Formats: sequence, C-alpha cells, structure tokens
Amino acid sequence: MSLTRSQIVRSLSARSPWLYRINAGSCNGCDVELATTACIPRYDVERLGCQYCGSPKHADIVLITGPMTVRVKDKVLRLYEEIPDPKVTVAVGICPISGGVFRESYAVCGAMDQFLPIDVNVPGCPPRPQAILEGVAKAIAVWKERL
Amino acid sequence: MVDTIILLAAVLVFPGGLFVLALGLGLKGVDRRIAARLQRRVGPPLLQPFFDLVKLAGKRTLVPEDACAPVFLGAPLVGVVAMMVAAALIPIQGVYTPSPILGDLLVLFYLMVVPAVVLMVAGSSSGSPYGAIGFSREMTMMLSYEVPIVLVVVAVALRTGMGQGDGITFSLTEIVHYQQIHGAFLLDPAMWPAFLAFLAFLPANLGIAPFDIPEAETEVLEGPLLEYSGPALGLFKAMAAIKTVVVLSLGICLFLPNAPDGLAGLAVQILKLLVVMTIGMTLLRVSLGRMRIDQGFAFFLKLPMALSIAGLAAAALV
Repeated sequence: MSLTRSQIVRSLSARSPWLYRINAGSCNGCDVELATTACIPRYDVERLGCQYCGSPKHADIVLITGPMTVRVKDKVLRLYEEIPDPKVTVAVGICPISGGVFRESYAVCGAMDQFLPIDVNVPGCPPRPQAILEGVAKAIAVWKERL
Repeated sequence: MVDTIILLAAVLVFPGGLFVLALGLGLKGVDRRIAARLQRRVGPPLLQPFFDLVKLAGKRTLVPEDACAPVFLGAPLVGVVAMMVAAALIPIQGVYTPSPILGDLLVLFYLMVVPAVVLMVAGSSSGSPYGAIGFSREMTMMLSYEVPIVLVVVAVALRTGMGQGDGITFSLTEIVHYQQIHGAFLLDPAMWPAFLAFLAFLPANLGIAPFDIPEAETEVLEGPLLEYSGPALGLFKAMAAIKTVVVLSLGICLFLPNAPDGLAGLAVQILKLLVVMTIGMTLLRVSLGRMRIDQGFAFFLKLPMALSIAGLAAAALV
C-alpha cells in the first residue's frame, strides 16, 4: 500500500478544518451551544484541529443556524459565496431543516437546503454539544473526500 | 562565489528559511498546546500549525474586486523574505555567527519593522473597511512601541560599547561575545529596566493579547488578514511564525545569549525560546483580555517608555 503525494497532502489538510458561523436569523440558542462547544474544556473542538475564524475567507466548514429569514437571505447567500472551495456546510438546529418553531411564519423563507447545499444536519432545539461535535466530525469526513 | 553560497544557505536553510520556519511553527504548536492545558482543554496536536499551512496551500486564493491585486498578493511575500533575512542576522552563541556583510543590529531593526508595514499595506490595499481599521490600529501600535524598543536596543549597545571602552557598538556578534565573557545582561541589575521594557514590547510586536488590537477577531474580523485566503494567508501565517522566532531570539541575544558550543548550544537556544515564549506570550494571552487601542497606545507611552528611558540612563551611568 503506497501513499501518493496527494493522499498525504489530503490527510494532513483534513486535520485542519476551520469553522465559521453564520446566523441566518437564529434565536441565539444554537449559537450559544456553538460557543460553549468551543469554549467549555470538556467539549474542546480544537483537538480536532478546528478553530473559529473571524473571516469567511479563512473558513472550511460553515455552521449555519436559524431558519432562513426573508431579511437575511441575500446576505447569507452572499456570505456563502465568499467562502473559498472546497467547503462543507453543517446545518445546526431544527430551524434550517423545517423552520422549527418559526415554521410557516411570514418572515421565514423555508427549508435551508432550497438555497444552499447542506452536507450535515444536526437536529435539536438547541442540539446538545455532543451532537454538534459529532456533526463537525462528520463534516470533517465529508471535507476529506472533497479535498 | 563560496561566500555567496554560504550567505544564501544562511538565509534559506539555516538559521534563516526552512529551519526558522519549522522552529516557528513548532513553537506555535507548543504555545497552543500549553494555552489549551492552562484552560483545562486537551488542545490541538503539536503539529497543528504544519497541518494548517499544508491546508492553506491547497485552498483557492480570492482577490477582492476593490483590491489592488499586485500589492495585495505581493505584500505577504515581501514580509516572509524580510523575516528570513532577519533570522539569518541573529547570532546563536556557539552555533552560528552571521557574516558581517548581512548587516548589524540597525539593519535587523529595519527588517523587524517590515512585517508591521506589510500588514498595513495588506490592510489598505484589500479595499475592505475592516482592513483599513486594522491598518490604522497597526500604525498606532507601531508608533507607540517603536520608541521604547529603540531605547532598549541603544541601552544594550551602549553597555557593551562602554564595557569594551569604545562608546557604542551595534554589532550583535560583539554584544553576544561580550556577554559570553562578562556574564549575561539579565544578571546585571542596571539592565533590568531595559529588560522589562523589552518584555512589554514582545506581545505588542507579535500581536498577542492584550495587544492583539490590529487583528482583533471579534472587533475588526482579523483586520488586515480579513480578505486573504489560501496560499496568501498561509504566507502571513509563515511570516508570523518566523517573526516569533526572530523577536524571541533578539531578546535572548540582547539579554541572555550564554550557551555552550555545538549541538548543546542549539538545544539550549531552543530551550530558552520555549521558556521565554511560555512566560512572555502564552501565560500573558490566556490570562489577559484585549485592550482598546487608546489604552494600548497610552500604556506604551507611559510604563515601557519610562522603563526604557530609565534603562538607558542606568546602562550609561551605573
């Protein structure tokens, strides 16, 4: 079994997924869970090589929370375009899947996957930190295939 | 011809170039690991900065529409090259003595300003308002910490020169040689104010909390680095890694260069780098929050400035 150069580069690169959070009109519940997932020692995501970055242009894995509200739709799509390929999208919470408690609201555009390609769903209102970590781990596996 | 090859090797392989890049990334890995342990986290693998760099090399580089592309992409290259030359200028006692052709402390001093200037150019050429804010903050910080560090360097140069009996010397090799014979300046109470001023300069120059104001993630979204992606961002990370080693080695060179010859000297140098980094950077950044730009500016005009003036006076008079 001989490793080619690109395989080595791919397996090294897969150990450095940088995270970026997009709030698409979330109630902040999931965002608090995301923050604790990173900050609380017990659920340290940095051991997977992850780090939160302030700029979408540095990101590899996008974590989207909230139902897509009418007001933020264009901004979210524009922000998504700014993230360089290859990228993986993780929808955090029930809202991106169905709208959650905001379902059928006049202010909500509907399921997130109509607008963006979603790779991993992490349902919950809000999801537990363990679930978010599992979602990130799955996203890393997806990302490794795309490199 | 042989001289040219030796010079090129010093800049590109050891102690500049590849060696200093690997050392800088390794130090960064240790720094992140210690910071994580201090916060009771597991922390990333020690080789994490290497993985990050490999990853960035494979990503796409985006150039904003409003950016001035040649300047935007050229800036990080200039920064990395300047830092590689700077690393070749600093002697390691018992291991490496730089050729006098490369330059002395004054040249090193100009080269050390380059990364800050590169960040300013990068921020202002990116066409992003956050980059512009980062540019203005970087310049403010530079103006505030530059005067104390000049005085610190002059204090050390003056002390060495007076010890040798010929006024002032700006040769790093002679500064190291003098301390090897007469004992480290760190053990000389007259040099303590200058040393403290250097410790204050360290986090400001390297952009570490509480002075990471120009690249504040939560306020200006990493400022000058906001619009960078892929290999260009990787070059900035490489520049920061090399700069860490350069600034820490300069501190070691000015205040505690004493070491045995050969491989043991190299081991002692790396050990000193680790200790200074843990105390001067890691402990600081996990225990303090970020200052506002006006607080940072005022801080440097008060305490480090007073310390460096006192240091200069002590070096000249005591």
